[in-house]
Amino acid sequence: MCQYTILCEAVNHFPKDRMKGISEVSTQIGIGFSRHLDSQQAAREAAMQAKTGLRGADAACAMLLCTGHYDPHKIVPVVNETLRDPRMVGCSTAGIILSGSIETRGVAVLAIASDEMKFGDGFVEHIDTMSPPDVGTELAKRCLNDFGAHGRQVFVFFVDSRLKNISPLLKSVQGTLGDIFPVVGAGSCNHLQDKDAFKIYRDRVLTNAVSGVIMGGHMTVGVGSRHGWRPLGKPRTITGAAGNIIGSIDGKPAYNIYEQYFEEEAAQLRGRRSGQMAILYPLGIYIEESRNYLLRNAVDIRSDGSIVCQGDIPQGTRVHLMIGNKESCKQAARGAAEEARQNLLGKDPKLIIVLESMSRLKLLGRMAFQEIVKIKEVFGSRIPVIGMYTNGEVSPMQSTERFKRPHLQNESITILAIG
Amino acid sequence: MTTFPLLLAVGVFTIILGTVLILLLVSKTEQLSRLQTSLREMTKSFNDLDEQAKLIVRTDLELNKAQEELDKRLNGLDALQKTSRLISTTLDEEEIFKRLDQSLIVDLGFEKNLICVYDKDQALQCRLNVGFSPEDVQFVVTSLEKERSLTQALKEGHAFTSAASSKQAKESIIRIFDVEHFVLTPILTQNNISGILFVGNRSNASAITEGDEELVSVLANQIGQALENARLFEQAYVASQVLESKVQERTKQLALALEEVKEINKMKSEFISAVSHELRTPLTSIKGYASLLITGKLGAVPETVKERLEKINAHSDNLVKMINNLLDIARIESGRVEMKMEKCDIAAIIETAHDLLTPQMREKNLQWKTDISEGIPALVLDKHQVERIFINLVGNAIKFTPENGTITVRVRHDPRAAAIEVSDTGIGVSKADLNKLFDEFYRVDNEINQSVKGTGLGLSLVKKIVDVHKGKIWVTSELTRGTTFHFTLPFDPAAPVTG
Repeated sequence: MCQYTILCEAVNHFPKDRMKGISEVSTQIGIGFSRHLDSQQAAREAAMQAKTGLRGADAACAMLLCTGHYDPHKIVPVVNETLRDPRMVGCSTAGIILSGSIETRGVAVLAIASDEMKFGDGFVEHIDTMSPPDVGTELAKRCLNDFGAHGRQVFVFFVDSRLKNISPLLKSVQGTLGDIFPVVGAGSCNHLQDKDAFKIYRDRVLTNAVSGVIMGGHMTVGVGSRHGWRPLGKPRTITGAAGNIIGSIDGKPAYNIYEQYFEEEAAQLRGRRSGQMAILYPLGIYIEESRNYLLRNAVDIRSDGSIVCQGDIPQGTRVHLMIGNKESCKQAARGAAEEARQNLLGKDPKLIIVLESMSRLKLLGRMAFQEIVKIKEVFGSRIPVIGMYTNGEVSPMQSTERFKRPHLQNESITILAIG
Repeated sequence: MTTFPLLLAVGVFTIILGTVLILLLVSKTEQLSRLQTSLREMTKSFNDLDEQAKLIVRTDLELNKAQEELDKRLNGLDALQKTSRLISTTLDEEEIFKRLDQSLIVDLGFEKNLICVYDKDQALQCRLNVGFSPEDVQFVVTSLEKERSLTQALKEGHAFTSAASSKQAKESIIRIFDVEHFVLTPILTQNNISGILFVGNRSNASAITEGDEELVSVLANQIGQALENARLFEQAYVASQVLESKVQERTKQLALALEEVKEINKMKSEFISAVSHELRTPLTSIKGYASLLITGKLGAVPETVKERLEKINAHSDNLVKMINNLLDIARIESGRVEMKMEKCDIAAIIETAHDLLTPQMREKNLQWKTDISEGIPALVLDKHQVERIFINLVGNAIKFTPENGTITVRVRHDPRAAAIEVSDTGIGVSKADLNKLFDEFYRVDNEINQSVKGTGLGLSLVKKIVDVHKGKIWVTSELTRGTTFHFTLPFDPAAPVTG
């Protein structure tokens, strides 16, 4: 076993009446990870571990995550060949979440073999030349075509974070797929933020693209999402907004809200460390229907003082500067896990997929794994976990309804429990 | 008349209504005023809270920055400790870089890392590279060689960082390494620079901090120390290899020389043996004829001739004795002598020698003492040969001990052998002569030897006999005080030696 390889998980879920036949597929899950320095070797190790977990069955679906240290063009063919050409999606990430550790360098592979679950995948390229609604519609159609006439349970997708306003895409995805099952997604990124971030679709490495997979069949999905940030200071009103751009707050240029709180430090938002301040202190928009704050990172400040965000900003809504800390993050992780568990409707979880903002990794630092500890407190210590740190998360916001409208969120943790 | 009361009532009602309205208006005005006051107070409270929030945010921002730096330093220290442990546990230069490759990349978290080491021609050779293509590395090495002032400053021990370097140096480094933030530091060994360590980040979001600079500096020192240790070890190893090779060569030469000596010795023994045999035959005739002439059976011999014949006889005896000794030595050396090993009482052998030599001791009035420990077992030995040991040693003692002296023979019980001493109170032997006493034909240059004839083969023969019994012999002496010959005879020379 290579010294870089630190994790191999294999979980086999057989119905009780089929436990005698080990060769029967049912649902088997394999997770592999490697931090080998060589891209091909890392891919080979991670894929082989994941494949080992399938006990000889062919992978029906795979998810490939890797940090920006690796050459995806060397990784993807190896994983694809090792797992024998499965439906595969994935993307670059700032960090990988595993059952036993948080890794800021490495390659992780999730492989699923199942005769109960059904999968359908698709992708769209050159998304900057298309309208977001068209991108969403095209992606959903392609996935549906591949999926066929099975019961849909969840749609998972990976999108280029350069697409600054994702809300129209989400609307069109739901418009095509239907709105009675959850949609979750992640903005690709790497340790150098969104530079050179890529998406994966089967044996292809894509930039300026979106890829996704519909999961369905005999399975249950529970989704939970939280952020853990709290409003700070007095509320303000968004007096001018168009799409994902906040023009004015309380009648003043939107950027003024940061100047009021940070004075000269606010200049950083226009400078080199804009990401750091924006992720620590996002704007929180109060959403009445979910009685919660939707967070928005400032991804750019324009010369007129308007703030560019990753998602839509409704005009006339209340907005706060938000603040979070390590403890609130950990509690949010637990809250999201409890919500996901609740949404499983009593089914036993087989796998946990975590899509979590890389802002939380920056905030939590060495304590990042404490969030996984909280998740395992809810699902049990033996539950296999795989996940990634994202640049923007898509998930339904916390509400009393089971299925909710997906929102692009920032700073959040989304837990997808598959039962 | 009926209109007046009506007008009065209307008037009163109007007045009351007006009064009520005025009172109501006053009340509402007061209420509005109170509400406005409350609103102002609430707005003020809100603003106060917002001001507090601003303070909280700024404090939080500071805390976050401090936490980030602290986390970074802790991670760096962790990585440094790990790196230190990894590279300090090997003395192989290749292995040092192999281990550094893992730790640097995985734990220190810099986007670009480069370690170059000067080779024996003082050219930089890349030993670790993360984030650079082979072409980039070639460009860096070539560019650094051209940047004389930069390399000179590095050789003098100066480090460069993106935060604190001169504009010119910073621009050069950014151009060469294609990064925004960097630390470039020399890897120093005890007396000079052995290479350079570079770490850097391209991303503006990953600026190099003071903590990074310290971390990289410590790392460079540790690498330098590890390289120094590896090179010293390499030198010591090479030196030991050379030495070992020389020792082996010398040993081989000595073994060959020893073989030659053995061969020569064998040839010498064979020669002596052959010559001695050839000499003994005519010598026997010479001695026989001399003896015959002395008896006068062949005719009367004049007294002067008789004296000469007796001298021939005596010299012939000496010559026979010498030849016999030479023959014995040659036989023992060549292994041709047949040892009759049997269990014998050492005390009896000593007594036999004493009996043989008693007349000579009496002539010089020498005192004879024996001191034999109890419990000496019977020794397995060749009785005849061991008797010759005692006859030679005691004979020597008699020869070199003045009149009225003492000769003592002691036998002690050693763990596996009898330890025997033959002491006299004679003239002694100088230190210079002690080591040569057992050499063949060596005779100490003293007055007694000048007047008394001897072959110089007696002690040599004694040593050979002790050797074939697997014993050891040595001598101690003090001039004018006497000499002691020490030798051991194992209880059983054929018994295996253990422990």
